[in-house]
Parts: sequence; C-alpha cells; structure tokens
Amino acid sequence: MFCYQCEQTTRLPTGDGCASAKGLCGKDATTADLQDLLVHAVKGIAQQARRARALGVPDNDAGAFMLHALFTTLTNVNFNPTRFVTLLHEAAAVRDRVAARCEAALAANPDVAQNIPNATGPAIEWTPAADLTGLLAQAAIVPVNADLARVGADIVGLRALILYGMKGVAAYANHAAVLGCTRDAVFAGVEETMAYLASDPTDMAELLDRALSVGRLNLQVMEMLDAANTGRFGTPHPTAVRVTPVAGKAILVSGHDLGDLEALLKQTAGTDINVYTHGEMLPAHGYPTLKAYPHLVGNYGGAWQDQQTDFANFPGPILMTSNCIIEPGPRYRQRIFTTGPVGWPGVRHLTDHAFAPLIAAANALPGFKADEAEQTVTVGFGGDAVLGVAGAVVDAVKAGDIRHFFLIGGCDGAAAGRNYYSDFATGAPDDTVVLTLGCAKYRFNRHEFGSIGGIPRLLDIGQCNDSYSAIRIASALAEAFGCGVNDLPLSLVVSWFEQKAAAVLLTLLALGIRNIRLGPTLPAFLTPTLLAVLVERFGIQPITTAPDDIAAALNRAA
Amino acid sequence: MTFHTVDLLTRDGERLSFPCAEDQSVVEAAAAADLFLPVVCREGGCGACHATAESGDYELGPHSEAALSVADAARRAILLCRTYPRGPLALSAPFDRARILTQAIRPRHAVVSERTQIGARTVRLRLTLEDEGEGAAAEFEAGQYMELEIPDEAGDGARARRAYSLANTANWDGTLEFLIRLHPQGRFSEYLEGRAAVGDRLRVHGPLGGFTLRENGLRPRWFVAGGTGLAPMLSMLRRMAEYQDPQPARLYFGVNRAEELFALDELGALSDALPGGFALIPCVWQADADWSGVVGTPADALRADLAVLRGDAPDLYVCGPPALIAAVEQAARDRGVPDDRLHSERFLPGLR
Repeated sequence: MFCYQCEQTTRLPTGDGCASAKGLCGKDATTADLQDLLVHAVKGIAQQARRARALGVPDNDAGAFMLHALFTTLTNVNFNPTRFVTLLHEAAAVRDRVAARCEAALAANPDVAQNIPNATGPAIEWTPAADLTGLLAQAAIVPVNADLARVGADIVGLRALILYGMKGVAAYANHAAVLGCTRDAVFAGVEETMAYLASDPTDMAELLDRALSVGRLNLQVMEMLDAANTGRFGTPHPTAVRVTPVAGKAILVSGHDLGDLEALLKQTAGTDINVYTHGEMLPAHGYPTLKAYPHLVGNYGGAWQDQQTDFANFPGPILMTSNCIIEPGPRYRQRIFTTGPVGWPGVRHLTDHAFAPLIAAANALPGFKADEAEQTVTVGFGGDAVLGVAGAVVDAVKAGDIRHFFLIGGCDGAAAGRNYYSDFATGAPDDTVVLTLGCAKYRFNRHEFGSIGGIPRLLDIGQCNDSYSAIRIASALAEAFGCGVNDLPLSLVVSWFEQKAAAVLLTLLALGIRNIRLGPTLPAFLTPTLLAVLVERFGIQPITTAPDDIAAALNRAA
Repeated sequence: MTFHTVDLLTRDGERLSFPCAEDQSVVEAAAAADLFLPVVCREGGCGACHATAESGDYELGPHSEAALSVADAARRAILLCRTYPRGPLALSAPFDRARILTQAIRPRHAVVSERTQIGARTVRLRLTLEDEGEGAAAEFEAGQYMELEIPDEAGDGARARRAYSLANTANWDGTLEFLIRLHPQGRFSEYLEGRAAVGDRLRVHGPLGGFTLRENGLRPRWFVAGGTGLAPMLSMLRRMAEYQDPQPARLYFGVNRAEELFALDELGALSDALPGGFALIPCVWQADADWSGVVGTPADALRADLAVLRGDAPDLYVCGPPALIAAVEQAARDRGVPDDRLHSERFLPGLR
C-alpha cells in the first residue's frame, strides 16, 4: 500500500506516507490497495459518463455511484475489503452500462460521433480479476504514486491534491444526494475532473488550475448541501444542547448524515428510547425539524478520535452514519452498526434505514440509569442565524467593540499538536469573536467565552458540511463593510485531517481567500515546490504557536 | 525478581509491550498490564494460546504434548500460558489486537432454557442470560467461547470451569447455545447427564477467544470441524448468513460413526441463506454399508479437494482435536496454502 491522503500519515526522513501492512488509520494494505483500484475504476466510469453527457444521454445514476464509491475511500470511512471487491465488480458493470448507452446514442445519431472522441485508456480497458489475488495484482499498478519515477513528486502531489479534493467533493455531494438533492452540473464536474485524472496529466499550471476548479465545484456542492439540509430540516437556530445523559434506554448516532438521524428519530418516536448525537452530528440539534423530536435528548462524548472511549462507555447501541469510524473496541464491537458508505469488517451494516436491529439492541442494553447534572453547549449559528444579527455585528465592529473575527474550523484528531486550536480559541482576546465549524470545536466548546453586546463570542456554525454558511457569513460581512473578504478583520485558522477538509481548502483558495493558517501539519502530498506556489499565490502559512499567530493576525489587521 | 520486556505483535500488526518477571507466564504478565489475552485453560492443556517466539530466550513450563508437540516447540512455537522469559522476548500472536481485552470480564448468570440430546453423545444446551442491571444482551463474535461454571449439588458454589464454543450468533435476547460432547467421567458431562434441568442457574464467563472470522475480500471460506468442533463453525456460518457475506463457503464435518452426526437440519438451512453458496460435506470415519457419503476424516476429504482446486486458495478454519488440526495443516501446506490463511482452534477432551 501507499497512502498519504490524511494528516496523520506516516512521516519519515526517508519519505512520507503509509506504506506498510497497515496504515496509521488502521486500514490494512489489502483494503487500501482495493481502494486505489476502485478510484481507477471510477476514472473509467467518469470517462464514459462524460462521453455519454456529451452525446446527450447523461447517466446520473453512474454519477451517484461515483459519489458513493469515492466516499467509501475517504479516511476513516470503510475498512471492509469484502465491500470493495463487490464495489469493484459493480463499478465495471456501471462503466459498461454507460458505454452501452453511448453506443446506442451513436447508433441512433452517427453524425455526432465525429465531434466526440472515444473513451480510451487503462481505466476503460480494465476488467476486474476473478479473485482477490488478481485484484491485488491489478491494484499494484494504480497507486496514487504510480508515476513517481516518470513525472516526479510535484506532479504526483498535484494529482493527489485534485483526487483528494474530489473525494471531499464526492462525500459532500453524496450527503446532499441521499437527501434527494442532485444537480447535473455537479455530476458533470465530477465526470470531467475524474476523466481528467484518467489522462495522467503532467502540466503543472494546468493541474493547479484544475485544483482550483475542484474548489469551485465544491462551492457548488456545499451550496447544494446547504440547500438540501435547510430545505429538509429548516434553518438552524441557536439552540442549547444538553451534553449530559438523562435516564433511559439510549441510542448514539455519529457521523454527519442528518437523514439517517431523522429516520431513526421517526422509528423511535413514542418508544422509551432516547437518541443522542455524537461528534459531527452535534449541530443536528439546531435544525427545527430534528429538534422537534423530544427524544433527541442531547449530545454524548467528544470528537471522533474519542470514540473508542465514548462508545465503550455508552450503555446502548451506536449508529455510525459516515466518517469518521476507527476500529471498534471489543467492549462495543457487537453493538455498533454502520450504514451508508461506512464499513468495518465484522460490524453489522444496515441499509435503507432498516434500523430494527439497532432498536432491538437499545431495548436489550441497559441505557442510562440516572440523570446527570445538566450541562449544555449552544449550537445553531448557521448562516441565517448570524446574518440575522449582521446589523448588530457590523455596528459592534464599527464601535470598536469587536476588534477581530477568527474562524477556527475543520477536523479534530488525536495528534498532540492539536491543542494549538484550543489554545488559540481560549487565548483570543475578549474583544474578538470565534466562529467555528467541524469537530475541532470539541476542544473548546465547553469553555465560557461570554458575549459582546449580546453577541456570543463563540458562534458554532455547524458541521464541516456547513462550510457554505461560513462563506456566506464572510461574504455578507464583506458586503456590509464594502470591502473584499481578505480586507475583513477576519483570520482563518484551519485544522485539517482528511479529504473533506482538502475540498474546503480548495474552495477557500478558489475564492481568493489569503493568509489561511493551516495545521497541525501540512499535507504530505504538498511538496516544497507546491507549498512555495501556495504561499506565493495565497499566503498559506503553517501554524506556529497560538499566541504568536493571534498576535500576527491582529497586527496584520491593524 | 528479574523482569524482561515482552513485545507481542498481533496478527493485524499492533505491537504491545509489557514487563514480565521470570516466574510470571506471559499471560499473567499481560494481565498485570491490563491486557487480557485470549486463553482457555491457562494450564498448558488446551493449546488455545499458541503463539510464536520470534526472538529471545524463554522457558516452557509443563504442558500437554497434545497442546504443543515437541516438534512444534522445537520450531519455537509456544503456549503463552506456559512461557516464562529469560531475557527480552519478541512474540507474534495469531489473533488481532481487538481480541485482547483491556479489562477483565465480569461473570454473569444464565439460566438453562433447553437441554436436548441431538446426537449419540452430543447435547445442545441453551442458556438465557439474566439482566443483572447491565441488560441481557448476548454480545460475542462468531467463533468465541464462554466458560461455564459447573454447579455443585446445591446448585451453585463450585468454581470448576469448562470452556465451550458458542454455536449461535450475538443476539439481543441473551441466548447462548452450545453443542457439548458427553465424555465419560467428564465433570460437566456428569452434570448434563445427571442433574441438569431447565431453570438451573449457572455462572458464565466470557465471551473469550480469538478464533473468529477473517475478512479477506471474496476469498472462499472452508470450514473443517471434528465432532463438537462444529459449534464455532456453525456460529460463523450463521453469522455469514445473517450478514449476507458473499464468500462461497463449505464445511467438512467429521464424526466417527454416522449416528454421531448432528445439527444437520440447521446446516441444511444454511444452503438457502448463504448468498455465495454453501456445500456441506459430512465425513464418517467408521462408516457402515448404509453410509453413502465421504468415508474418512474431514482432513482426507479436504486434501482431496485441495488437490483439484483451481484459483485462489481458500481461508481455512479448523476446530477439533489436535490430530485433526495437524492433518489439516499438513494438507494445506502440501497444497501451498499460505500459513496466514489457516485459522485453527484445538480442543481436548475434558477441557471443552
């Protein structure tokens, strides 16, 4: 295996990347290699789907398959090699189905063919080997660094940046798709970009442009996801969420998929079972449709990397709806269920919202025996909630009551250096406001920040899936002040871990946002050359220490 | 007391390190470090804690030749419960990190809900876990086992334990199902044959053990069972059916005489439930004229099928007495099946 797609990848003087029998995320080499082969297969689908769209017979089912397939290959999503063998065979069938549509369209209108080239190349010619040994032999020739000796680390790194950005795009688009929200333009963008990667591009300037186009595509996707969430569940409102248990049977829902949560709430309505959110599901409490269920009683535990402790201590079953799963410990291995793109070998997978086994488990398990003293955190400061008080915010800035905004967003993780983000948030001066999204917030969201003229100093915008809200807020502030986003008293401090964050980062760059602080370490696929380009064009900087970075941001603003 | 460092490498590549005194077994030292290894008898008698010493000096304590042969010991195979370090020790274990518990399992109570004779010398025992404040769910992995305490005449109090593999799958009703061979003079056998009755209350410990399914893509899974070695295989096959695992499966089920076959209805039902297909191959060693199936041991039948196999070698799971396991290992090696595709659990009379 070779994989360097996440922040925690192995870093050695001899070279970065996980390249042993097991990656640091826990993924074994067989699964990692099968995922590489699935990406290769998706490129083949994309080539045929792009051709089909050009021929006037677009196949959005193929697009939906690509979104799901790519989502399964993100860090901490699916670790089950059996699932990937099945997906590989399905991928070949999808590609061949789209190819047949193309042939039928051409037969019906032969003149069109002159302008639309055939899809060619290894991903078109590939057919899945009959057995696992054969599939692994095929995978051995398509890892992300396959071309390293020929094209060099910069080109491989740029291709990786695009691929990992596309994985994030696919994940966000899949979240929207399962809520029934898709767009032709998004499918076309996915087809175009994955087909481009299938061409093994080597032009650095072109690759950089493509990376930014992935960012623009992701902006569309984030807007689509925002519309899907708010359209289905209403506009989030500031809401106090209980973070201590109440007595009773209990189910814990983790991941990001609000549709799964809603389905479970419906199926447990009127029972004695309470539902708790975990990790990135916390912002669900801000949505009117979801918080209307009285048995959505609170949030339990912290960010994803705490799950082995949180889940072991939770006295009921757990549903993992999307990233980020890590190896289930023996104390809860039999009572954790996966759904959607998630998978772990030997863990029961539920499909089509058939949650009866989960509910049976909740009834059999003890639940919480007593209430704990109530504690709350406040969520629900999505775009509309913040923009609703934009006038007060602008006035507070003009009056000098709010000196600066810090957007501290992204993923949490287990690395020791991530305490930078809590140090940063809690060390921000009292005349500054902290906006946050993603699961990095768990490092500081129980801290008492206070308020400025009635405006809370900590505004939780939502999941990483809600990045569009942050962009809307920044754009609206810029409009109110009559300046560009880069001229606002706003600093972005991004904590990345995996590929959703890579997509959001590309979006921020595509919007021309400069001077982002990125940490806790920089992506291993960004070579010194690529980093120099990003520094020059976008002023990206690695984090240093929280006090120094706060001071630098305030000095720059002054 | 001199302590040495033991480095234990699990099957899935995790490295664990703990100190071990010269008079401590590796199992005891791991437990002192809150690492509870999958073991059964802890007396060198069952062979369930097989591992390999990759480097370092050690002494092997008294153990059964059936659990660890002289030849295997010469190849630095060890029993973790009978290994005492004499210097820094590097070991590799045939189980995953997830099979090692970080806290001891508290005993629970269960009530006998069924005791049925299902073969010439085999009993199906079903227990129902009590809800003692932590729920009544039966949470275990297919292939694991429980230790049952043998009730004394008063119904409780005795502490002698016997380990039996679970034959069913994890469930929320608290049901534990065992297939138990009755042995002459066996203590649990005496209880089952003499005193056991529906409603009896037993203390149970578990789940334990690292003999569980490996997820390796679509590689076929072939199971080899000798007698009540069927129990963990039945559990694994039932779990495959429950999860709709796509791997093709087959089971070689060996007994001495045809009348000793049991659970054939349950096995037959699996044919329809397993999406990748299922072949049941009963093998009778001392067959009479009426027997039309395979005559011989399951290892013989396996060897014959491996000889004509085309394509990917299967994952092999074998549970039974040491002689069966040795024969299966030899058949697999002769065919060139890699060692990491062979998963075994041996049991000895009196310990299971």
